[in-house]
This record gives sequence, C-alpha cells and structure tokens, in this order.
Amino acid sequence: MTDDSNNDEILIEIEGMKKWFPIKSGMLTAVKSHVRAVDGVDLQIKRGETLGIVGESGCGKTTLGRVLLGLIPSTAGSVRYDGENIRNMTNKDLRRRLQIVFQDPGGSMNPRMSVRSIVGEPLQVNGMAEGIELTQKVAELLDSVGLKREHMNRFPHEFSGGQKQRIALARALSLDPEFILLDEPTSALDVSVQAQVLNLLEEIQERHGLTFVFITHALNVVNHICDRVAVMYLGKIVEIAHTQDLFSKPAHPYTHALMSAIPEPSLEKASRERIVLSGDVPSPANPPSGCRFHTRCPIAEEGLCDVEEPPLEIIDSDGHGVACHFPLGPGMKLPVLDDAQIPPEDDDEPTTIVL
Amino acid sequence: MSDNLLEIEGLRVHFDTLDGPIEALHSVDLNVEQGQIMGLVGESGCGKSVTSLVTIGLATCDVDEGSVKYEGEELLFRDSEADKRLQDISGWVTVIGVLASIISFFGMLLTPLSLEFKTFFLIFVFITIASWVVGFAAKGEYRRHQKFMRWVRGNEISMIFQEPMTALNPLYTVEKQISEVMHVHDRLVEAETPRYVRVGQALVRPATLIVDAFSSKPQSSIATFSTLSFVLFAHLRGFADPTAAAIASPFVFIFQGIFWIVEVAYYSYKIIMIAFGPLVCFSILGIFVVIILTGSTFLDRYGSFIRPRFPQVGVPAPGSRDDPLSTEIDRSLEDGPQRPHASKIDSLLLQTPLVFTTLLIVFLLLWMPLSALLAMVIITTLLALPGIIIVNYLGLDPAHRRQVIGILEDVRIPNPSAVVKMYPHELSGGMRQRVMIAMMMACEPKLLIADEPTTALDVTIQAQILKLMRDLRDEKGTAILLITHDLGVIAEMCDAVTVMYAGSVVETGSIEDVLSRPRMPYSIGLLHSIPTIDEGAERRDFLPIIPGQVPDPNLHFDGCRFHPRCPFANETCITTPPPMNEVEPGHFAACHHTDSIGENVAEVQAAFDVFAAEYGLEGVA
Repeated sequence: MTDDSNNDEILIEIEGMKKWFPIKSGMLTAVKSHVRAVDGVDLQIKRGETLGIVGESGCGKTTLGRVLLGLIPSTAGSVRYDGENIRNMTNKDLRRRLQIVFQDPGGSMNPRMSVRSIVGEPLQVNGMAEGIELTQKVAELLDSVGLKREHMNRFPHEFSGGQKQRIALARALSLDPEFILLDEPTSALDVSVQAQVLNLLEEIQERHGLTFVFITHALNVVNHICDRVAVMYLGKIVEIAHTQDLFSKPAHPYTHALMSAIPEPSLEKASRERIVLSGDVPSPANPPSGCRFHTRCPIAEEGLCDVEEPPLEIIDSDGHGVACHFPLGPGMKLPVLDDAQIPPEDDDEPTTIVL
Repeated sequence: MSDNLLEIEGLRVHFDTLDGPIEALHSVDLNVEQGQIMGLVGESGCGKSVTSLVTIGLATCDVDEGSVKYEGEELLFRDSEADKRLQDISGWVTVIGVLASIISFFGMLLTPLSLEFKTFFLIFVFITIASWVVGFAAKGEYRRHQKFMRWVRGNEISMIFQEPMTALNPLYTVEKQISEVMHVHDRLVEAETPRYVRVGQALVRPATLIVDAFSSKPQSSIATFSTLSFVLFAHLRGFADPTAAAIASPFVFIFQGIFWIVEVAYYSYKIIMIAFGPLVCFSILGIFVVIILTGSTFLDRYGSFIRPRFPQVGVPAPGSRDDPLSTEIDRSLEDGPQRPHASKIDSLLLQTPLVFTTLLIVFLLLWMPLSALLAMVIITTLLALPGIIIVNYLGLDPAHRRQVIGILEDVRIPNPSAVVKMYPHELSGGMRQRVMIAMMMACEPKLLIADEPTTALDVTIQAQILKLMRDLRDEKGTAILLITHDLGVIAEMCDAVTVMYAGSVVETGSIEDVLSRPRMPYSIGLLHSIPTIDEGAERRDFLPIIPGQVPDPNLHFDGCRFHPRCPFANETCITTPPPMNEVEPGHFAACHHTDSIGENVAEVQAAFDVFAAEYGLEGVA
C-alpha cells in the first residue's frame, strides 16, 4: 500500500522451501507416503510491501506461512530474514521481529485471560514492561487498534468477531515487530466488519512501516490490500506479479479460472462468461505428474504438460513470474470446458476384511 | 398473487432462553414465485437461517404471529384455544396425579392392612391415566400436522445445509442414504429381485468376503487361519493332548523367557537402588537441573539438528548448499530412492496388530471359555448375527440402484456407479454437496431451500455448484430460496433478492432493482463495503465501511433497528418503525427516507464516509 514499496531491499528470502508431512497408518507402521504441503517454493518479500498469497484450501498457503515464521520446521530449504537464516536465530529474537495474526481470533486467545494479560503477555515474557508501565503500554496498543482503555479488563467472549481480531492485532503489534503474517484475518468476519478490519490493517502498516504477508482465499481482498500477489496451487507458486499486473493480465490458466470464478456483486460482471473448472483439486499426497494443474487445465497439451514440470519464469520486466508452458498473453481467453469431459475415475476396489 | 409458491407474512418469532426471550425475527415478509431463485442476504445473526427453518418446520423457536403459506396451504401450526387449555389442564393434572399416586403407594406399603390407601392409589392412577389420555387426544391435530410436515419436507420443500459432512450420515453409503429418502416418500419403483433373494445374498456375503480376503492377502490370512484352527484344535482335544502341547510349546517358551527377563531386570534394579540409591537419585536430579538451566538456549541453538528426518522419495530440487540441514537431506536423498527392504519391513509391521489380536483371542478363550458372561455374549451375538449381517450387507435392488445412479447423473457426478457405493468421507467437499443436492432433488420438490450451500467450498468448486443449481432450476423448474451472506453469489444466481438486517426484512425487489438502485442505507453500505476486482477503476485507499456493529438481539428498538449506524437517522427513525415503501413497482425498502435518499448512490456513500469518520473507529454500543 505504501508508495515507496519500489525500494528493492529484500526482508525475507525463501529458497527451495519444502514441507512434507508423513502419512502413517496404525501404531507401529512406518511412513507410507508424504503429503507435500509445500513443495519447492522460492519467494522474496521486500521491506514495507504487502505480499498476498492466494489459493484454494489445501494448496499449502498456511503451511508456507508457518514455516516462514519458524513455527514448524521445514523439510528442506531455507528462510533468510534480513540475511540471517532463521534456524540460527533464537526463538525469542524470532518472535520479537516476526508476528502472526491467526484466522480464528477466538481460538487464538485463552478464554480465561483478560485482554490486558493477552496483549501484555508478550511484553512481560520479553521483559519489556512491568506493572503500571505495562498497563500504560497495553492501553496505547488498544488505542492504536481502535479499542478503548476500559476494554482492558474484559474477557475475549465479551467481544464480537471484529473486536477479537483487533485484540489479536494489538497482541501482534505489542513487540513492535517488523513483519506480520496475516493468516486469513478476515475470512471469519462479516462483510461490513471485514471492511473495517482491512482499513485498520492499512492504517497500521502506514503508521509502523510494517511488512505484511497476507494469506487469503479471497481475491477481491487481495486486490484491495496487496502490492504483490503469489498464486499457489498444490504446494507450488504458479504465478507471482504486482497486483495490477495480475488482475489486468493474468498469464496462468489457473489464475484466469480463479478470477473468473469469484462472484461479484454487480450485474454487468455477473453476466460475463465464466470459466468453470471441472473436477476437484488433486490430493497433495499424490500430486499429478508434470504440471500439477494439467488435470483441470483447459489448454493442457498431452505429452508436454503431463510430463514436464514448468519452472517459474519471469515473463516481463516488472517481475511477473508464471509457471506454465503456455502462458496466456493479455486479452487471451480460455476455452470453456464442458462437464461431460471430466475423465471418469476408477475407484472400484474390491472390499477386503482383516480378521 | 396466485403464482406465489411460498408466502411468508409478518413472521415474528422468539427463542426462550434462560436469560429471557430473544426475538430472532421481528417482521419478515417474503414471497417466492414458481421457478424463481430468491436470494436472502444478510450478515450473521440477522435471522435468515431461522426464517428458512421456520418455513420447513424444523425450528425450535416459538412463533408469535405471522403466517407461512405454501401454495395457499398454511405451514405454521397453532392449537385452537380450547385445545391449548385442555393440554395445559391435562399436563398439570397428570403431574399432580403421578405425585399423588406415588405418595399413596408408599402409604399403602407402610400400612398394608388399611384399605383407604389402596383405594386412593387406584383412584389416583385412574385420574392420571385419564388426564394423560385427554391430553393425548387434544394433541391429535398437532400430530396430524407433524405428519403433514413430514410429507412436505423432501416431497414439496427440501433443504440443503451449509456443511454437507454433518448433514450426511457417515455410516451409510451414498446409495443407501438417497434410496432412504425415496423409500420414505414412496418414490422407489417396483423391485426387480424379490426381497428374500437379496436377504440370501446378504447372508452369503461374509463368506464371499472371507474368500476374497484369503485370495488377495494369502500371507496374513494363512497366519490367521492357522491360529484359529489351533484354538479350535486345542479346545476339542484339550491342552493335555501331546500334539497341542507340542504346538503350544514355542509360545510357552517365549513367554517364559519374557518373564525371566522382566524378573532379572527387576532384581538388578533393586540391587542397584539399594547399593547406589542416593547417588543415582542425585545424579538424575543434577541432570534435570543442568537441562533446566541451560536447556532453552541449548535447544534454541542446536534444536534444528535434533529434528527427525523423514525417509524421502523422489529427486529433490537442489537446495541451498550452506544450510546444514538442507545439505544433509539432499545427501540422504541422493543415496537412493528408498531404504532397502523397506517393503518387507513394512509388510512385517503391518502384520503385528493382526498377530497381537489373534494372540489376545487365544488367551481369552483359553482363560475363561466357560464363564457365564462370555457364553452369554457369544450366544446373543450368534443369535443376532443374521440380523447384523442383513443390516450391513442387504444390497439395494438393481432397479433402485439404477434410479439412484440416474439421480446422481442429474447432478453431474462423474462415474456415478462407483460413487453410489462410497461413504461420505471418501468424497471431496464439492462431491458431497452434489450428493446432498441429489438427495434433496430425489423427490423433485417444487422449492429448494439452500442455506449457505457454498460457504464451506472453494471458489472454483463454488462456481461448479452454483452452475449446477442454476441448471437444475432451468431443467426442472424448481424454485430456490438461496440463503447467503455473499452478495456476489446473489448477483450471479438470483432473480430477486431480499436483504435482512437484525431480524427484519429491510429491502426486497428484483435483482436489478436492489443491486443497481438500492434505496435502503444498509443495502447501500453493504454493497459498497465489499472489495471488488476492478481493473479499470482507481483503487481507493480505504474501503467504505458501515460503522458500528449489528445490534444485540436482546436490545429493544422503538424505531428503525439500523438507526445507530445510519447517517440519515433523525427523530422519526428513533421513535417510529419504518414502513415498507414501494419505491418502484415490486421494489420495497423499509426506510423513512426513501424519497430523500433518491437514486444517487454516490451521495449516500459520501454521507456514509463522513458519518464513519465522526463515528470513530469502533462503535461500541
């Protein structure tokens, strides 16, 4: 959102990030296979920008965020924060500089703690404030997110969803971090409250000079708040671009379909022709060979797309990257697939019993 | 209007809670025409789901006034005054009668020779039964209505819920659940095979399953089979039999060995504790102290090296070489695709639970074969076995299955003949919602209530489901009442839309009217607070908002319920409830200012912006 986001100082650099979760069956059995939640992601986050990560559920966007923050260890790859590998940073240092706001504000707070202790706990743990000073600081933080001083002694259940999210934001801000990961902060909120929280986020970013990574599945929110957007599909980034570029000339067929699938509250747009993708997102435990999107892609070519995996290539000077063999130019349209073309699955296994 | 399928008029309901009644709906008027898709939109807690549940007769609230008419037939039921009074009286008389009979019964026990208590007891019992029968009769009308509603649900009006997984039964296959609906509503065609043939097939089914298991997994099956046959053999011949003893001897040997090891370990532990007890205790304590004192920094620094590594398959992308963990993993990946003999170990490990279970069975049977409890369990299970088998394996008639497959084809499920045999957990979210729609469309109702059908789904799947619902409407002429909070879905799907706010309808009209020319301030604010994907338009730095929040349902308002958040609110709004003004033919808005607000939406929006700035960031009532 800030105008000086064209400075190219890189705050966070992710290289070859992988996170595979093992699938086990039974008590004593070995690992059967892996869910490849994040499977090779390279990403650079510039200081002061808002990077959006979009994708459908199960595409690995939340896992990417957690690995980025060091909340769960990665399987392979590295995260560099300000040039320093986060593995070499202590947990305290890490949490002081990188913070997170979770999707469900009620679930991320202890219902038995008052707002004062929820927001003040990070300060206490880090020995930054005690006693009256702590109360003073908490009051300032609450004020900065649009809550009042008298809310300090209330408990989370006394607040509405939007207010809870404000408290979560105050807690994230308490250590004055440089970077905040926003993991679907508005998807549990109503539309009118969502608008309030989005405005607050922008205001806070301007005031504190923060860097945001905004994880969401709603493209319209991304368009409003983000400077750059990365689109993920099955653990990989398929397209990354500046917001305006992505929305004016999407190059990956998946981005096209995603944008066309969003229902919008205006009649001219509702009547436009939609690209309805057939089938479901494949399982990340058993991703398709080659390009992962080829099973649902209307322009996939046999012999190339199902064999060779396209790398993420930069296609123009603005850093518009796309991972597709046939990137679409501006103004090009996708053919509309019919439901009849869905390939039949054959899951008719014989039933067996084990005595 | 005669072509109205569903007419809701002046509906007012409340929920009785421990904190007093909560008024969920204040005044709801809603019309759904034949074959129309009507959208019902509002924020959470505005009463849109309650409206639909009252319509279909599933709500647990009390209806104060209003009517719900389906094709001219009243769906809400109210007892006549006489019936209600009778029910009340009979309820109280029954309660008192039961208490009196209990007391007189005890009196009868205490004074066995006195005749009075016996007579009292009989009289009280008679009064109780009589009043209960009267109450039961007074509820006859209500029961008839329940029966009627049960017929209406599914047959005439059906409902899709938000979360398909909780609406489907996880224990039954898809075909069973869909055919159950059709069976209840008598929509199944005549069976092809007689019932006794299918029962016979069901009874034979376990045998075929066992044969299948033996042919597909010979190794484990032979192990199981030999253990069971040994148990049978030992039972017939007794353990004193030399052959049985010979077979059992290795097991006996192994278990005795285990006991010896345990004993040796136990005594050596005792000796160590007696000899060096204090020393061991203090050294353990010391280790704990050292860990507690240095642990956190130690783990922070070296924790990354003590993480488990997973054996991995496949060729990795070259990671960064200077990262110690990354290089380690890369090296382990380069070693080879998989550990040697992994499959053999896996298969051995797979069998361990099986071996343990069979050993358990052996020991249980040897330990207490004749105990009465076990015998009872065995006998009852054996008696119930055919029933259990029939419940589990009674297949669907081929004709009925074809019917179900046909219905699944209607909702565009790929490969329906395989899907009918699946359980809900085997299906993805979109497929589950399709099955749900199939189930609801099985009896071809005239009205489908869809309560947030796509909220739990991804956008690309949502597009599929919405397209499917629209296609079904076009094919079969089913009217749809679509409940959602997403105005985008409304714009895409609906012919008409009703906006609700805090338990009342605030605006209703055709989709063009409401979306292009909204006249109620709440609808205007709602429409503009949604971030849009506008390629050409200039991006606003701040989203327009409606300040404040939805009021508590317990709060009482004399006037308009939106007035605390409305920039146009004046004295009239606070004191008088707004009437439903017809601003255009068929377009109603509940606002005092419909004339002054006019059609200039930009002006209203500017007013909202100014108001929001005055209101402060957070409006706390």
